[in-house]
Amino acid sequence: MNGYAGKFLEVDLTKGTCSSFTIAEARLKKFIGGSSLAAALYLEKYNLHTDPLAPENPLMVMNGPMVGSGFPGTSRFAVTAKSPQTGIWGEAACGGNFGPELKRAGFDGIIITGQSKSPVILSVINGEAKISAAGNLWGKDIYEVTDICKAEDKGIKVLAIGPAGENLVKFAAIGNDKAHFIGRTGLGAVMGSKKLKAILVRGNQPPGKANEEKYKEIFKAAIAEIKDSAFAESLHLMGSDAAMDLGMMTGDVPIKNWTLGEDFELSSKLSGPTMRETYLTKAHACANCPVACKRVCAVKDGPYKTEEGPGPEYETCCTFGTMIMNYDLAAVIKANELCNRYGMDTISAGATIAMAMELYEKGIIDKKKADNLELTWGNMDTVFALLKKIAFREGFGSTLAEGSLKAATQLGAKAMDSAVHVKGLELPMHDPRGFHGMGLAYMMSNRGACHLQHAAMGMEQGMVSWPQLFEMKEDYDGKTSQGKAMLVFNSENYGILDNSLSICHYLLYCLKPETIRDAFNAITGFNFEFKDFLISGARDWTLKRGINNLLGVSAKDDVLPKKILTPLQEGAGAGSIPDMKLLRDEYYAIRGLTANGIVSEEKLLELGLPELRNKLYKK
Amino acid sequence: MTGYKGFTQEWMDAWKEKIAGSKEYKEIAKDWEGSVSITVNADPSKNVPEPVYMFTDYWHGDVRDFFICDAAKAQEAKFIMTGDYARWKQVAKKELDATKALMQGKLKLRGDLTYIVRNVKTINKVIDLLTEVNTIFPDEG
Ligand code: SF4
Repeated sequence: MNGYAGKFLEVDLTKGTCSSFTIAEARLKKFIGGSSLAAALYLEKYNLHTDPLAPENPLMVMNGPMVGSGFPGTSRFAVTAKSPQTGIWGEAACGGNFGPELKRAGFDGIIITGQSKSPVILSVINGEAKISAAGNLWGKDIYEVTDICKAEDKGIKVLAIGPAGENLVKFAAIGNDKAHFIGRTGLGAVMGSKKLKAILVRGNQPPGKANEEKYKEIFKAAIAEIKDSAFAESLHLMGSDAAMDLGMMTGDVPIKNWTLGEDFELSSKLSGPTMRETYLTKAHACANCPVACKRVCAVKDGPYKTEEGPGPEYETCCTFGTMIMNYDLAAVIKANELCNRYGMDTISAGATIAMAMELYEKGIIDKKKADNLELTWGNMDTVFALLKKIAFREGFGSTLAEGSLKAATQLGAKAMDSAVHVKGLELPMHDPRGFHGMGLAYMMSNRGACHLQHAAMGMEQGMVSWPQLFEMKEDYDGKTSQGKAMLVFNSENYGILDNSLSICHYLLYCLKPETIRDAFNAITGFNFEFKDFLISGARDWTLKRGINNLLGVSAKDDVLPKKILTPLQEGAGAGSIPDMKLLRDEYYAIRGLTANGIVSEEKLLELGLPELRNKLYKK
Repeated sequence: MTGYKGFTQEWMDAWKEKIAGSKEYKEIAKDWEGSVSITVNADPSKNVPEPVYMFTDYWHGDVRDFFICDAAKAQEAKFIMTGDYARWKQVAKKELDATKALMQGKLKLRGDLTYIVRNVKTINKVIDLLTEVNTIFPDEG
């Protein structure tokens, strides 16, 4: 089967067994791959109602058919499980080199269940899988583990957890070769619960392509489009943090735990151009990506001295910068490195600390509660101390290790308004008061507040124009809720595909949809049209929503936090809040959800999801 | 209110006057250094038979040269922006944000993009002031 390796690896860590299975082409065509196929397997084969940290919860590492093809941006792979942070469907995607190497090692995915008695690593080398003792790797941070594993074989690709994953921090991340992170929804804790310290892959069997000649032609066109794209150029020059300056102007950037609307000194000190002029040592790329948006930074001296390593993304410049009133980019770089080493999602970690700082300012927690730390705004010594305490679950750090929602619940009713999350996942760093569509996208994303399971940001902020896919405006007014339900619906159906095709979100913005479609067809031989893509996207969204419905999600959970429903006093988003009811009512109607937010029977049948219909409607 | 024929010297003078008279611009643009040329691609169907080249120059909150030029002069600018007439018209009418047009590939930029990103407030202010000029567009006059 072209594009695919043709096999999935199944690992049971309780029994210590590895086996493989195949999936019929018709099913692959229906769910494509990545997190979409993972959701279909999860629904079919596993008990949804287990505890996320129980051995039965499957951790899936899944490729899509474009991974390993060499096409720009197709290094992505998805990791999924029931999330320990949210208790619902969890997934995160990552670039780097692991996905293509897994494909070359002979597998489209790895599904891991069970729990080892003692720490182990899993090696997958050219079709052979082996479980072995982790030895002294347990307890080491992600950079150390990666270096040790690569010392023996430089070319091996590593997925590893750090102390946060071992200690079941609810927002623990999984690191990929030190430079890329599976950050959101706490999947590092699932890996830790299984006592799996690392997964190593190595292979030399490249996947085939259905039409090599056609592919070459499309590849050339893609490179030309990237060269011509200002979006790609800005990513290459400034990384994702290129968004900071413009975002401050348009009301996108959250400040002081979502309480302020504007601070140009912050954006100027923390922006992509500033990083380029100060701490950037080079740009770095995922496999086969000419965009090379990744930052490599070093802080050569001063209190925040940091060895050369992966630099912060825009989100991290917010969570450890604007959100906590830290004006020092060097300190953001240090915080980023600590999160990387401990293995923690920088969004959840920074946002949870921002919440704690606000609670401290309000007197809801005091110094004693905070283990004698001064939780004042911008106090980076406190931030670094807290990150360690969180990773090792020491004292107050153990409370914060639960994430904003659960930590606030522990800290009392007065703390709840400071937790800024949807379905237990902290909001990414884009303020829905400036962009109401983003608010709806947060409300409806299946993993909780998310900026990547859709293309709402690109569409609403005018970074892309795809009239060939669906009706859309060239220039949307961010501060209106009217018409945004359709924008979000379309943006999900197309944007969510990056998780099943496994193509980088940014490449969706840099490349024409025609080019992506044609590359996909040339690789797989599937002959998809735009409408097939959009149906696949709708199926993906609906499948995950149905799983969440089975896990108890309904209309009561599709809400924005109080902070976002409180108008700002200054900045481009001042005075504006999303009209939650209008957005939700319109969206439910378009998406085929009942008034209570359950996927309707008709919609499930229309999208070819009869098994889900049977489970949801007990047929 | 007087109307100015778009993309002419008179129109540029009116635009320059708006910028020079704006205290807000002076403050926002205090760090800006350098020239921007604007090329409007020909569109005979819209009464733009030839490309129009404009040279504009700004220095720490002041406005310097502001004139219709030839293709060679346009190439000398620190930043060179090019686009179809219909796109520039949308920008001048505030129907399309210039930054968005750039990202969507509807306008092209040659020059240091990091400088533009850092100074996006200045760009937006200059365009905001343009929208205050009462313009008679070539295909409307
Ligand atoms: S654009 Fe950036 S994140 Fe995406 S594949 Fe390229 S280097 Fe990786």
